Amino acid sequence: MADSKRINKEDTGRLLDEWSKEFSVSVPSRENGMPAMLPWDGKDTSFLEWYRNTVIPPKANFFPPYEKMFDFQKGAEGYHLELPPSDKQKQLIFGIRPCDARALTILDTVFQDTYQDPYYLSRRANTVLVGLGCTNPYDSCFCTSLGISPGESTDVDLMFTDTGDGFFIEPVSDKGRELLAATGGLEDGLEADEARAKDVKEAAYRKITRRIDTGDIQQRLAACFENQDYWEKVAAKCVSCGICTFLCPTCYCFDINDELSQDEGTRFRSWDSCSFPIYTRMPMENPRQEKWRRVRQKVCHKYWFYPVNLDITACTGCGRCIRLCPVNWDITQTLNNLPASS
Amino acid sequence: MTTDVSQRFLARDNVYLPHIAVIEKIIDETPGVVTLHFNFKDEKLREEFTFKPGQFGEYSVFGIGEATFCISSSPTRRDHLEFAVQRVGKVTNALHRLDVGSEMGFRGPYGNGFPLDSFAGKNLVFVAGGIGLAPLRSLIWNVIDDRDKYEKIDIVYGARSPADLCFKYDLDAWGNDSSINMVTTVDKGDASWTGREGFVPQVLEQAAPSARNAVAIVCGPPIMIRFTFPVLEKLGFTPEQMFTTLEKRMKCGIGKCGRCNIGNLYVCRDGPVFSFAQIKGFISSEY
Repeated sequence: MADSKRINKEDTGRLLDEWSKEFSVSVPSRENGMPAMLPWDGKDTSFLEWYRNTVIPPKANFFPPYEKMFDFQKGAEGYHLELPPSDKQKQLIFGIRPCDARALTILDTVFQDTYQDPYYLSRRANTVLVGLGCTNPYDSCFCTSLGISPGESTDVDLMFTDTGDGFFIEPVSDKGRELLAATGGLEDGLEADEARAKDVKEAAYRKITRRIDTGDIQQRLAACFENQDYWEKVAAKCVSCGICTFLCPTCYCFDINDELSQDEGTRFRSWDSCSFPIYTRMPMENPRQEKWRRVRQKVCHKYWFYPVNLDITACTGCGRCIRLCPVNWDITQTLNNLPASS
Repeated sequence: MTTDVSQRFLARDNVYLPHIAVIEKIIDETPGVVTLHFNFKDEKLREEFTFKPGQFGEYSVFGIGEATFCISSSPTRRDHLEFAVQRVGKVTNALHRLDVGSEMGFRGPYGNGFPLDSFAGKNLVFVAGGIGLAPLRSLIWNVIDDRDKYEKIDIVYGARSPADLCFKYDLDAWGNDSSINMVTTVDKGDASWTGREGFVPQVLEQAAPSARNAVAIVCGPPIMIRFTFPVLEKLGFTPEQMFTTLEKRMKCGIGKCGRCNIGNLYVCRDGPVFSFAQIKGFISSEY
């Protein structure tokens, strides 16, 4: 197979070591309790055993939960604003799943739309994504309904497939091809590896059994948009905790606030959520005070408004909003049971 | 100057970084509303900065935060910029505490602004309530400074009480302008009030401006807007002839932070100015 490579699993640490010379390498880590893509400690590759997917989506590596936008300081000449030093360090994320890589492609569209978001986009430009195909998806996963294959990705630079004892490595982008050419110690991929990888990818695809019906989804949402009874019913058990949005790999809403001590401080942004009534609250009124309006907004934004504006559905079927919801709210049920009309 | 809206007036290529501006004058409009006059510290920007009536900015009090206000002065009057602030929350209270000479931050201009070009050659009917006159006065002064381009001008402006009337200096100037038909009203007068009493929609109905070759531009509290549109329809205005500017909670001002949407439209990016025809087409009543 042209361009492809192979590596034994026990050599993964050596490979990450080599990449660490050029990149700040992040890998799946449980260091902070919740699995996330965190800087590699230079030794531990045990994630190869336990990793199915992270809880904190990789969007956090590009759009962190809390992020300094600039510092301000009041001096004799008035206010001075200081941007954080631009991070020139090249990043490499190892092991990103196809759903989460797609999520970054989705986020690119909003952060580039008309006004460029300098913080997110500079990190994206500095980062190489090394994908790792799923072999053991969760039963909450429904990526195949969103046109994603759990074993394949066009949204990464390099793609790894677990072939048992080792990985079959395929370049996806030019960036990935260059990296692969510059990486030493890899054997050329064999036909047998490619055949094995194909089986693994197909097996993973078959393991995704949860489905949503995406046919005419915009029209079907429009048809029941004013069906308050339905939205009240699906919103009934929601506790408005915002977990489904914070842990969604494509949710990007944020708040902007200041911190001040004496005459200097920081403007920062932090993740926000359409689950919270305060998110839209104005002094005199609130367009989404009622919970059912907020749940409706979340669902319609992902499957209707976002695709209308940016030509891509803002969901990857990663299933986090299902498996991490404290009250078992299930977006696939909400979408599959849409009433035909208001 | 670049025509690419996303590149205009950026501070150090970062759309979230405000420009430093200095407060030059403070006018007490009502007990809860002030108008602040300001200028950019950067002289080049001061000269180059342009905007359209109806556009807004994000204003910073450093250490307190940012808030959204329309630019209430006219782009035809380049000496300084103005905005009006009602004291309702954290940032607006902090803005009220600023003194002449204080520095604040400004990002903008954002939003679409009024479709001024399409108003040329038309009769203009302005209907405003309370601080809702702020975005309209930007447009009104612009129109006055280009008076030959427009036909008749009617202005109906009201507030709850005489003390709540904003921009009294404007009301006087427009009242004394023979080319403008100005009607000022209050919901309820006081002992010294000799002017008109009555709600804005009713007074508008009595003034009965013709819909012929006209557009109506409406801004005020939501309740006033809701009662004004039917009156205009009764006077013969079509939804395409009526415009308003909407208000939503905003943070970024540039269509990213998420909160100001009505369906797929973002008030910051697709508005804040909409025709009533557009509003009727909104998928929800969440405005």
